[in-house]
Amino acid sequence: MALLSIKGVTVKFSGLTALSDVSFDIEPGRVHAVIGPNGAGKSTLFNVITGYISMTEGEVWFEGQKLNGLRPHTIACRGMRRTFQNGGIFAEMTVLENVLTGLAQVTASSIAGLAVGMPAAYRAEMAAMRRACDLMRLMGISELADRPAKDLSSGQQRLVEITRALATEARLLLLDEPAVGLSVQDRENLMAVLRKLAARGVALLLVEHSIDLVMAISDRIVVLNHGQVIADGEPAEIRTHDAVLEAYLGRN
Amino acid sequence: MSELTEVTRQQARPGVRLQRCAVAALLALALLLVPLVTNDYTQYVVNSILVYALAAVGFNVVLGYLGQLAFANAAFFGIGAYTVALLMHYAALPFPLALGGSAVTGALVGLVVGLPALRLKGYYLAIVTLVFGELMRWAYVHGGDITKGSGGLPVPEAAMFGVVADTDKAKYYVILAVVAAVIWSTNRILRSRVGRAFVAIRENELACASLGISPGRYKVIAFVWSGLVVAVAGGLFAILLGRISPESFNLHQLLLHFAIVMIGGIGSLVGSIMGAVLLTAAPEILRNFPGLEEIIFSLLLIAVLLFLPRGLAGLAARLVPALKERLYRE
Repeated sequence: MALLSIKGVTVKFSGLTALSDVSFDIEPGRVHAVIGPNGAGKSTLFNVITGYISMTEGEVWFEGQKLNGLRPHTIACRGMRRTFQNGGIFAEMTVLENVLTGLAQVTASSIAGLAVGMPAAYRAEMAAMRRACDLMRLMGISELADRPAKDLSSGQQRLVEITRALATEARLLLLDEPAVGLSVQDRENLMAVLRKLAARGVALLLVEHSIDLVMAISDRIVVLNHGQVIADGEPAEIRTHDAVLEAYLGRN
Repeated sequence: MSELTEVTRQQARPGVRLQRCAVAALLALALLLVPLVTNDYTQYVVNSILVYALAAVGFNVVLGYLGQLAFANAAFFGIGAYTVALLMHYAALPFPLALGGSAVTGALVGLVVGLPALRLKGYYLAIVTLVFGELMRWAYVHGGDITKGSGGLPVPEAAMFGVVADTDKAKYYVILAVVAAVIWSTNRILRSRVGRAFVAIRENELACASLGISPGRYKVIAFVWSGLVVAVAGGLFAILLGRISPESFNLHQLLLHFAIVMIGGIGSLVGSIMGAVLLTAAPEILRNFPGLEEIIFSLLLIAVLLFLPRGLAGLAARLVPALKERLYRE
């Protein structure tokens, strides 16, 4: 069964059609990418899947449940998390605080328990702390734990955002242009991290302009143009697909 | 992931905890001994500092942590004060119950003020909450025989555990116990998943929702807690003054709370306490310089805002890194 099914999704903004009858599936533990020229509807697709905008027609199913009409935070709680193209980080918080915030859903401390100092509330907070430390280690950012997020390089911020998004057991992670603005070194690092996540069974869906990165790590690529799916297949197929060459990659 | 579980952070720094306990114990002892060195007048000033510190802490929850421009603080403060006064004056409730009543009323009013905050932002929320404060003041003035209008209401003396707090020194222990307990609770809430959610909403509401945190839910929680804390501060204010009147809860009162939060340091509990000390004690000390009082005070405030954007707490954290407040416990 597909992890995520997008079925005939159409989004119209006051007459303008941003997405038109888009359908595709995402399989568990695989790396998927959406590519296409600017204005093709990639960001709209992300926003509609994660509940930030509502669709005009169509359905989105995640793990056998329909997501239509659910709020972004409810969808996130179901096990689908996303990052943002820019500025998704909580700048004034430290790295550790950012990662702990991602664990809110599984931090079982009650407000009354916290207010009167119940040991159970403290234990729940400490369990979150241990988990955050584990995650930062896994992602190789333990050294940054006490640094304010705003002081980090954009590559480091991107890693913090991914760590934060993964804090709970997300089965699907949507990454909005994760490699934009990164140095070659940071980009290599990011690719290694994404491969590691896929190997751990997290399905990835990325929107990305860097064709090299997309071709290198994707199992499957969906190509959008003018809000429509013009191709859907493995990297090798996409590379030689006539319509894709025409619309996006260019011939030669 | 269990194979990766590392030694938890607090175990890595064993001395810190002991050090903090020692500092807390010394501070507690010093606070308990304050009445030995005060006279009636200075004791009254110290009591005011405590009440304003609590009012500012409650304000800071919404203004500094949640990052919402809500200005209902004088309203919460007044509602707490009037609740205590009415319950003690008419229902002859003992002080602890009346104060509990003000906490409940404050939480409920916080809920009511929090609901528009789900739809309104920035200036719009600011104006709605400001108007709410003025509406409450109008209600006290026109409350007829209940609130006794502009003349105000007398507040009976507080008794706790059979001891009547009829002097400022006796009131001090009542106020200190309540203020310390409520600030302690607030600190526990802020340094947990709840406080982190507040700050996450301030930093980026959209990203916050992507982490499974409902911004609406946590906004309401912040307003409810803020209302509760500030109303309790108002209840203590009623005891402190012995008589309350509508004019105690006007824009001037709000401005004072706002200045305490900003000058102490927005988003810092220690800052709110430092701000309360400065803004309550400085005018009293400056009375020794007649004529210069207002000038020195104003220059002091302008200097802090210009050169210390994170207020006194920001300065303190720069000088002593251990004072930097975190959104978690170790």
